[in-house]
Amino acid sequence: MNSKLSCSRSAFLRVIDRLGFGPVLAVLAVALLSLPAPARAGDAPQWMHALVNVPLPEHDEKTNAVLLLAEDTFTVQGNGKMKRIERRVYKILRPDGRAYGTIYANFDAGTKINSIHGWCIPAQGKDYEVKDKEAIETALFGVPDGILMSDVKTKVLTIPAADPGNIVGYEMEQEVHPYVMQDVWRFQHIGVPVREAHYSLQLPAGWEHKEVWLNHSETAPASSGSGQWQWALTNVPAVKPESNMPPLSGVAGRMVVSLFPSGGSGTKGFESWSEMARWEDGLDRGRRDASPQIKQKVAALTVSTPTTLAKMQVLARFVQTDIRYVAIELGIGGLQPHPAAEIFNHHYGDCKDKATLLGSMLHEIGVESFHVSINTTRGGAAPDRPPTEEWFNHEILAIRLPDDVKDPSLFAILDHPKLGRILIFDPTDEWTPFGRLRGELQANYGLLVTGDGGELIKPPQLPAALNGVMRTAKLTLTPSGTLSGDFVEQRNGDYATEQRASLKSVLKDADRIKFLESLISHSLPTFQITKASLLNLNQTDQPFGYQYSLVAQNYAKTAGNLLLVRPRVVGVNSSDLLETKEPRRYPVEFDGPWKNTDTVEIAMPTGYEVDDLPPPVNADYSFASYHSKTEVSGNMLKYTRTFEVKELSVPVSKVEDLKKLYRIIAGDERNTAVLKPASH
Amino acid sequence: MLSRRLSLLAAIIFVGAAVRFSLPVSAGDEWLPITPEELKVTSDPKAPGAPAITLYRQVDRDDSDPMRPHEYNYVRKKIFTEEGRKNADVEIPVLKGQWDAHSIKARTIRADGSIVNFDGKVYEKEIVKARGLKFLAKTFTLSDVQPGSIIEYHYMLDFAEGYVFNSHWVLSDDLFTKAAKFTLKPYGQWALRWSWPNGLPEGAKPPVQEHSSIHMEAQDIPAFQVEDDMPPEGAMTFLVDFIYSEDTFEKEADKFWKKQGKKMDDAAEGFVNKRKAMEQAVAQIVSTGDSPEVKLQKIYAKTQSIRNTSYELEKTEQEQKRAKEKEVNNVEDVWKRGYGDGIQVTWLFLGLARAAGFDASPVRISTRDDHFFKNNLMNARDLNTNVVSVKLDGKDMYFDPGSAFTPFGMLPWSETGTPGLKLDKDGGTWVTTPNLDSSASQIIRKADLSLTSEGSLEGKLTVTFSGLEAVWRRVEERNEDEAHRKKLLEDYVKEIVPVGIDVELTNKPDWTSSAPTLVAEYSLKVPGWVSGAGKRALMPVGLFSGPEKHMYEHSTRVHPLYFHYMYEKSDDVRIELPLGWQVSSLPQPVTNDAKLLVYTMKTENEKGALRLERHLKCSLTILEQKYYNALRSFYQSVRSADEQQIVLQPLGISSGN
Repeated sequence: MNSKLSCSRSAFLRVIDRLGFGPVLAVLAVALLSLPAPARAGDAPQWMHALVNVPLPEHDEKTNAVLLLAEDTFTVQGNGKMKRIERRVYKILRPDGRAYGTIYANFDAGTKINSIHGWCIPAQGKDYEVKDKEAIETALFGVPDGILMSDVKTKVLTIPAADPGNIVGYEMEQEVHPYVMQDVWRFQHIGVPVREAHYSLQLPAGWEHKEVWLNHSETAPASSGSGQWQWALTNVPAVKPESNMPPLSGVAGRMVVSLFPSGGSGTKGFESWSEMARWEDGLDRGRRDASPQIKQKVAALTVSTPTTLAKMQVLARFVQTDIRYVAIELGIGGLQPHPAAEIFNHHYGDCKDKATLLGSMLHEIGVESFHVSINTTRGGAAPDRPPTEEWFNHEILAIRLPDDVKDPSLFAILDHPKLGRILIFDPTDEWTPFGRLRGELQANYGLLVTGDGGELIKPPQLPAALNGVMRTAKLTLTPSGTLSGDFVEQRNGDYATEQRASLKSVLKDADRIKFLESLISHSLPTFQITKASLLNLNQTDQPFGYQYSLVAQNYAKTAGNLLLVRPRVVGVNSSDLLETKEPRRYPVEFDGPWKNTDTVEIAMPTGYEVDDLPPPVNADYSFASYHSKTEVSGNMLKYTRTFEVKELSVPVSKVEDLKKLYRIIAGDERNTAVLKPASH
Repeated sequence: MLSRRLSLLAAIIFVGAAVRFSLPVSAGDEWLPITPEELKVTSDPKAPGAPAITLYRQVDRDDSDPMRPHEYNYVRKKIFTEEGRKNADVEIPVLKGQWDAHSIKARTIRADGSIVNFDGKVYEKEIVKARGLKFLAKTFTLSDVQPGSIIEYHYMLDFAEGYVFNSHWVLSDDLFTKAAKFTLKPYGQWALRWSWPNGLPEGAKPPVQEHSSIHMEAQDIPAFQVEDDMPPEGAMTFLVDFIYSEDTFEKEADKFWKKQGKKMDDAAEGFVNKRKAMEQAVAQIVSTGDSPEVKLQKIYAKTQSIRNTSYELEKTEQEQKRAKEKEVNNVEDVWKRGYGDGIQVTWLFLGLARAAGFDASPVRISTRDDHFFKNNLMNARDLNTNVVSVKLDGKDMYFDPGSAFTPFGMLPWSETGTPGLKLDKDGGTWVTTPNLDSSASQIIRKADLSLTSEGSLEGKLTVTFSGLEAVWRRVEERNEDEAHRKKLLEDYVKEIVPVGIDVELTNKPDWTSSAPTLVAEYSLKVPGWVSGAGKRALMPVGLFSGPEKHMYEHSTRVHPLYFHYMYEKSDDVRIELPLGWQVSSLPQPVTNDAKLLVYTMKTENEKGALRLERHLKCSLTILEQKYYNALRSFYQSVRSADEQQIVLQPLGISSGN
């Protein structure tokens, strides 16, 4: 899938992702190891030594490290300056736990690291100490995911002797200047159980605060008076990653702290989604103003289009394809779009830029549209969750459909009580046509930003039939077992996007067939493609397709005088996702609904008849269904099947059913028809 | 040993304030003329389907004045597709204090010929900053780039005074290059040699020297493509290497290597020559009654037990200081202190072997993991590691105990089948280390299983990894714990069985020795291995066929195929059938003998139990691209044979045949 579809609209990205310039960092890290050490290493502080002999939180043999202490202190000083002090103490349990001896600290124009200090208490010998000046500063290298420039940097500090059995820890003080008066206490982590987690809040007189707990029951703070509150948790289990699980924000314990300065003026935390939308609207204000060049382009693009819908489609296509994805995120630029005129002049921009330019162009034809902040993974924002920028990493558009625009190609429509019919559209997604929405954005909450505020909306879940593979094959089998014939695969929705995006990256024509060869090789051990063509590679409003012919020698196996034929031939719907020893902890999340169908007709060799057929399969669950049957009609063996995913999430209580379903499908995919010499 | 480049650098760095070099007239912001053909072209028949091509590239390096070395770069690209537009994002690496980029000019030429001059910002990104080091990138993106556009930019790199160093013209690139022009004005005070180790693009003429400049032009340089199982990129990319020397270059390879061989021999003998200490050490290792081979085995084992610092995790400066480990200067130090790096440990083996009376010699060899050695390039650094040659029972054998976990009599794969210089005081003689036969590196899978009436397999599996199959696993897991190693071995079985399974490692394999084998035992359950066919049940024979399922699935190939080492896989699977079940039919045995690749498979009915035997032998090291189809065809036949079915008759159902 095209990575740019998960573009960032926030100032901070995950730190670890930006270390993709391995060779450079490796060279410099080695260089750093050889730099002179401090004259004298100091002892670890008392708050670390106090933890040397404490019992460890509950963990299993695969746990790399445990967090003995996670302490966060957030202070707002009388002059409004804010600082955060972060302390962490890990006990390394396994060799892979050495990674916890390297501290990655993000900072940008609004977040300064005042100091960072690390220590190691080895099981034997004296303590080690490292300080700021030994840190490496890193930033983006290359243009990953289209991000040309960002001011987010990372300090990397390596603590010596982060070996199993040893204790490492650090203290970091940051000065923060948040755009929104919110802080998030992240007390539950991936893979690392926590023994003790503390959060302290200190506010000047007159300031107020409000906390919302996520994925954890609410815990009351202890107040020591004079504007100080402390929360404490013990034995917080680790989040254990699973394939197709909800995003971390949907499962890990968090406390979102909103701050309200005295007097109620100026920047403050959001009390409602509407308030957050108003704030975002302020960022967008004036950015959509159309320049003469934009007006001219709109006129040129729409002059020969007869209907409003056609005008909208041509403008949408222009922004999707002609505006190159490039992100330049400096300061508030992570959240605020560039002016439409600038985006148009350069012909490049990021997701919020594309939404802004399209909004501007639509306005020129009298169509109103609104920004929608959303996440490219479902499961974060929800009506019962607090409003925060944390939830979103992408920006799309809600287009208010004029009354006369009614067309069967428009599926992603939401009926809004005030705005009427609004079409949810992603101008960054160059593969999904106007009227549709890719799976990960369906039934996923986003913040609709209207001029007078806004609200959380849920884009619709589209019919499963709009997404999937429809495969038909007409084949002939010879007595020696060679199968040959023609296939047509029609790929819709995300299945089309996936292939188009892959084929886009191909550097030469000859390599296009490799994608088809890879697909087929999952089903056929031996085959030669004799003819192949692509259907609608660039016509994204049409289904993508492969049309091919192949010969598969020894496809049917001989057993005595019998011929064994697997009627499924090509295509895999089964999955070993749930074939693990560990019991499932989290729901299984699908990107979107889909429906795959296969119709395979195999002309049997002359002189053979069916001796045995696989039984039909009918498996129906609330979340998915699978039906297959193999029939005989004259000399034709006909296999049909349908696999439909109807719900986007399978709760843990139904995961065993899903596992059973996948096994049923796997069994059906291997089932075989037996042919024997005809008796007459 | 300091590399040539480093010593040169040290020699020519001058002290002085940085002075930015001003652009030569020829390298101003003038643009080369654009032809109507360049504007019109929508694809190139020599790069069909390419998203973009480089129309022209120019690199002019000038080291002639060591006070002001600099390099002018000019790039022109044609964008064919939307994907090709990403070439409009440009990043120029800069190392603060060493080199800087300036005078950056860029423009977009639309398909209609109109020009959009770059007037945006050139961002300076601080990629890495550490004490005394600052690695930056100057980055910019061009406006209004569409399919059909031409983009071009040029810039000057200024190097610090004295920053004259060995350099390359890298001809191969991700994009097809229509035309390229390179020049170098060398630093005239030293000798310069240039070579093109991997050849030149078809039709390109070698670099020529005219007056004080070396230049070269090339056309139609193919885009460099990465493929699975290809030789190392260092052996495949087109480039021209430039090497400076304070002395004159030796023109004859034999003389060059004789001289280098003597230097290397001096260094090796200087490290090893501690006869008395070695004799005392050997007396502690061997017994007088030991046969020569046993003696050598004991010395090898003892040497390998020395702490090998090359295989330890990198330590921070603080840890190194605290460890207070003294420098190792000779084999006596290695022996007495009980540690050394891989090279030193191998030289210790040489010292001990000689002290035990063996005819043993130091050998410098070139590993074949990065590039392939060519002695006519006369690059001494290419002999990058060491082994020891020992005459045992009249036969020359090669040993490298400094390569951890390598069993006696073997070398790690990168040191097999590769040239080396067997050193002596006269400079030495060329040798080639032997390749290991496929039988030296095997994976033997023996399973004793039962078929349940539900169609699942359950039972025990033993996998024996031998030779290099054991070595790489031990090396990879050397700093890991038991849980990690267990996962590695269980993941291996998940990879080889082509369906989802339950597998549990039941023994504790020997991870720490250099024993010839690494043995893993498992309990295994394969749910639903047998599929239904009405009244019959079908069982595929390829229980451990997972790795071959997707080998060479593509019909086209660009590069030769390269294999690290030869190997064999042998399966012996016994399956007890449920009571009353019968075997209706067994597949015919298969033998596919392609000489360097051999596959056999047979099934037998042994009194109500099935026996499946499968053997795959690969004796390839490198294979020309023209044989790719034959290779692909072989693996297709393997897959086809693996998918053959045993027909079973469950209890109470008659076959009807």
